[in-house]
Amino acid sequence: MVKNLNRPELNKPAIPGPQLASNQGGPHIETGRDALQVPLPPAERKYPPGDLALWVFILAELLVFAVFFSAYAFTRASHVELFNTYQATLDTNSAVINTLALITSSYFVMRSVAAIREDKSQQCFHWLLAALAMGFLFLVVKSSEYVHHYDAGINLRTNLFYMFYLSLTFFHFMHVIMGMVILAAVAIKAKKGGYSANDYTGVESGASYWHMVDIVWLILFPLVYIMH
Amino acid sequence: MTQTSTKTIYSVRPCTFVYIVLIALTVVTWLIGKAGLAGLDIALTVLGFAMIKGLLIGDYYMGLRNVKSIWRWVIIIWLVVPGALITWAFVISS
Repeated sequence: MVKNLNRPELNKPAIPGPQLASNQGGPHIETGRDALQVPLPPAERKYPPGDLALWVFILAELLVFAVFFSAYAFTRASHVELFNTYQATLDTNSAVINTLALITSSYFVMRSVAAIREDKSQQCFHWLLAALAMGFLFLVVKSSEYVHHYDAGINLRTNLFYMFYLSLTFFHFMHVIMGMVILAAVAIKAKKGGYSANDYTGVESGASYWHMVDIVWLILFPLVYIMH
Repeated sequence: MTQTSTKTIYSVRPCTFVYIVLIALTVVTWLIGKAGLAGLDIALTVLGFAMIKGLLIGDYYMGLRNVKSIWRWVIIIWLVVPGALITWAFVISS
């Protein structure tokens, strides 16, 4: 038998259904309609969840955004007045809606991974659909911001601040679209029963990419919209 | 007659608790922006909130807290290095 070093639980005989704390002995645990089941803690791993090749890609993406953020901060240091003036024209309400949408979508994606670990393929699919809906909300809100800027005659050449703002947020916008394509592909496969409690690397890979998109926005939001 | 100890769990999953913390920190950040608060200390506080949120996502949503290798530090390093550079840039401009 070939052992899976990353997921040692796969080397054990398959146990049908979710493993619950009630299986561990001790007091009987009643899981009523409103009570939550308590899954066993996940095993320690040597590698991060999902495909390792995708993580190398994620690292490369994170590095690009880190350079972008640093370039923004140091350019701002030389043009504080200009950056503060034009930052005040941005719509923080739209930005916070987008932040909440991405955080919520990340939560839904995480629940989809938890569902497939318990062999609940349809539940996994529904959580992914909910995450996609939040991603769509992000795209709608951000697009409306871009339309507003376009109507006001703002573009990359307007000034240094808008050059950074538009290129940073649009670069991230493209990553949201990419993440949604990945999540949609994972959702379709989950709907068809393509994943199980013994084979869910694809779900973890899609989830990891989406969380990366979320983390990048969590830094971008305060840096570009709030900090001055 | 045998007595059975029965316990009903109405617990919140750790990830749900993390979600509530993430939402709370986001709303506080937004309120700081709406109030127009400025200055180095405010900027660094907001940046600190963002780094805590990133750390929570990495640990609890990406599942990196269960990883026992250099991969465990990927997100932490990514948050700390740009975070330090941003801090430096704001300090020299204040």
